[in-house]
Amino acid sequence: MAAAELLKFENVVAGYGKETILHGLSFAVPRGAMTTVIGPNGAGKSTAFKAAFGMLAVRSGRILFEDREITNRAPRELIGEGICYVPQGRNIFPELSVLHNLEFGGVAAPKGTDLKARIEAVMDRFAVLRRKARHQASTLSGGEQKILEIARGLLLQPRLMLIDEPSIGLSPLLVEELFALLRELRKGGITLLMIEQNAKRALENSDYGVVLELGRMRLQDSARAILSDPRIGQLFLGGGLSA
Amino acid sequence: MLPAFFILIGTHTFGLPFWLAAILGGVATLILLGLAFKKVMVDPMIHHGVLPLVIATIGLAILMKEAVREFYGADAWPFPALWATTDVTLFGAVFAVQSLLILATCIVVVGALQLFLAGTLTGRCMQAAAQNPAVARLLGIRVERMILYTFLINAALVWIAALLVTPIYLAKFTNGEILGLYAFIAALIGGFNQVRGAIVGGLLLGVIDNFCAVYVSSSYRMAVPLLVLIAVILVRPQGLLGRVEERTV
Repeated sequence: MAAAELLKFENVVAGYGKETILHGLSFAVPRGAMTTVIGPNGAGKSTAFKAAFGMLAVRSGRILFEDREITNRAPRELIGEGICYVPQGRNIFPELSVLHNLEFGGVAAPKGTDLKARIEAVMDRFAVLRRKARHQASTLSGGEQKILEIARGLLLQPRLMLIDEPSIGLSPLLVEELFALLRELRKGGITLLMIEQNAKRALENSDYGVVLELGRMRLQDSARAILSDPRIGQLFLGGGLSA
Repeated sequence: MLPAFFILIGTHTFGLPFWLAAILGGVATLILLGLAFKKVMVDPMIHHGVLPLVIATIGLAILMKEAVREFYGADAWPFPALWATTDVTLFGAVFAVQSLLILATCIVVVGALQLFLAGTLTGRCMQAAAQNPAVARLLGIRVERMILYTFLINAALVWIAALLVTPIYLAKFTNGEILGLYAFIAALIGGFNQVRGAIVGGLLLGVIDNFCAVYVSSSYRMAVPLLVLIAVILVRPQGLLGRVEERTV
């Protein structure tokens, strides 16, 4: 029987140079759900994602995916495992066409994968990408670029998608559309782990929430429970979370 | 410069026929200027930023130049031409067959390179690795391999260039320096981020240079490329065919 948790951090310690950011981070990501990670600046949210996706060396502790250890494995291997990562900011190749940007999502696909069919399927899902397939990617709006990044990730039919600050720089209307898309992906069976500064909006759209503070997990509960926890407001206003 | 001397070592020292020396010279160029250069110099230096790498590359260029002078002397050595060294008259103008064939080869090679970079997945992965290596890595693109391909292609182009121009300029230890400077200026004029820009820049520079030598003064012909460069940079900093690149600061 598959474990209820798809991804697990166990006492993960990681950081940059001499600085340690994650001080024994532990939390689990439920399978098939949308989980939002929140916390003030410097809590280690993006660092946790980078550690999970093999972009930052884990000094001690373990990261498990489907109960198999994936600590310090390279991104290409993790893609093969079914994990995709959509980092914050603009992550497209502006001088290449939308279609060619999309095609990069399948670079690490196993041999024999019918990428053409998958690209067609993804473009069927996102009409804007089909319409602008031959356009230079830099001509897309901010929201369209984010859709392109997510669509690129979907090409490998991932089981887990890590998304860092997807709404950054988007208009409120586009943010709404983006969250609707993420909900749709979750319904389709993809487990989503998201970092979002717009904590309230993200939690309203999520099943679970994880609160990080100073590189440790301080709270994990249903998104609804976290939303109604009075300590959360205090945490974002500069006070610590007294557990 | 170096591939020409590899070929000359093959013909002079080992008595090989020119075609075999040329092929072996190409292999030596790929290994030394492509593979070894990337592994021995670029890989350890790249983590320290671009500037130390540029300085190290200049240092290596000086070392190679002086090494050739040490072992082969400062004289210019004749180099066999790939094609007939005759002239043809077209539309009333006299052209050296060699020059026309160099131009044709150049167009074919640049066309093939463009086709490879834009028309194949590997070529596009190389572009992606150049535009944003961090994101390319996240997508599973083997960035290190793409960088290696770039160096190998670069070495192959150097070998082709040596075969084409050395019969005209002769094999001399300063070839890389003088022609390299002209090529650098031509690339800047044409647009540094466009392969075809280098051709346009080179052609423009060559034509202006020769016109100036004939109609203005041959004494100042070395200054002409720099004047053209200044003019282009002032009016169009990205070069004639170059694209403006956005940078996050």
